[in-house]
Amino acid sequence: MEFTALLIVAYFALLAVALRKRQRKVNGPWLFLLRAFFPNWQFFHGLGPAARLRVRARSGTGQWSDWQLVYPRLPRQAAHLVHNPAVNLALSQQNLVEHLATDVHDLAEQADIRDCVSYQLVTRLARDAVQGGRWGDTPLVPQPDWSVPEAFQFEVRLLRLGQSGDEQLLQSPVMPLSP
Amino acid sequence: MTLELPQAIRAFEILLGWSLLVQSAEYLQLHAIDRVSQWRIQRAEVPHARVRQALDWIYQPIPYHGMLGLRALLALALMLGLAGLGSALLLFVMALLLLLRWRGAFNGGSDFMTLVGLTGLLLAHAIARFTSPDTAWHVALWYVTVHSLSSYFVSGWVKLMRPEWRSGQALTVFLDHGVYGPLPEHSIFRSPRLALLCSWGFTLWEGLFPLALLDVRLAALLCATAVAFHFMVFWFFGLNRFFWAWLSTFPAILYCASLGML
Repeated sequence: MEFTALLIVAYFALLAVALRKRQRKVNGPWLFLLRAFFPNWQFFHGLGPAARLRVRARSGTGQWSDWQLVYPRLPRQAAHLVHNPAVNLALSQQNLVEHLATDVHDLAEQADIRDCVSYQLVTRLARDAVQGGRWGDTPLVPQPDWSVPEAFQFEVRLLRLGQSGDEQLLQSPVMPLSP
Repeated sequence: MTLELPQAIRAFEILLGWSLLVQSAEYLQLHAIDRVSQWRIQRAEVPHARVRQALDWIYQPIPYHGMLGLRALLALALMLGLAGLGSALLLFVMALLLLLRWRGAFNGGSDFMTLVGLTGLLLAHAIARFTSPDTAWHVALWYVTVHSLSSYFVSGWVKLMRPEWRSGQALTVFLDHGVYGPLPEHSIFRSPRLALLCSWGFTLWEGLFPLALLDVRLAALLCATAVAFHFMVFWFFGLNRFFWAWLSTFPAILYCASLGML
């Protein structure tokens, strides 16, 4: 076996050993923005808690709607294989909700989650959902039970995939909708 | 059966170019449908004021769309075999700018694998300045191969270590939460036996993917399985960019397997 071949075998053996060890989390703004240079390739690896966004709206009469889930569910088309902007946008916005959940978890004492970019962007997502926003032709909230909302609120809940029940991670204050 | 270097380079360039073209067309359309991301908010995550100011200009609509248009043109040039060091460098820099625009990733793993492909392309053209183009491409294709094989290997072995994958439960749950989901009530993937079989099949196939380097025929079989796998991932989860990003690495794997080093 050549030296290069030995190196390849050693590399994958080392990778296998490293995967068994607990990995240290390294944080930093540049590391976050340039994390593509350090891919971990761990896709769909386990049934951990999954963040879900829910919104509700208040009408002019002061009545609140029920909480409505904002989660990407779009109709499949074979052509999406070559052009799929709406689905990819929807998935990136669901990732945003997951990032907010991580930010809440990692929030330093005395820090305010409202200062986080993820919080501000999820606020925009929730506002868009209440105002009839769409992923392509699909509404963010499929069957809204409000007509002319004047204020909204959102919450992030942690769902244990494969199990029943969830828990609230974050609830926003009530925010007015500009006319 | 072998894949010679010139054919591997051409196939790599065509597939990577196509992958970039698909992404660029989608990015161009996002402007009209995205009402959430806003650079004015996101810029706060960039730590350096000077970088922030430079990015403020780049992400204005006209320069940003100009960049995406140029990216699409360079992707076409790459497919036609007309991309040199300058094009490779520009494509790499634009990939970084897109990562920063989308908070590090727009589409997760596909962005990461696209960056691997573009780094390989840049390596090939940069190293060729100092040595023969064949040696440079040899290094670049090995770089892409190691990353691609690592992605399957890691993905397989982390599944092997998780009880929910070993029992088959994870597969049905993930499929139920897919963007095109949930699974129909009587879907065959709700069958615990089939879910168990598929889970073990995917786990072993991914974990053993590095064995592709043993023989080019085995590599071709593993890559063909990968095409079917990535198509299923697209079919259930909508991840079309993953399909093209990983496909673009297969010429590199087949070339390295053709060398018969193991």
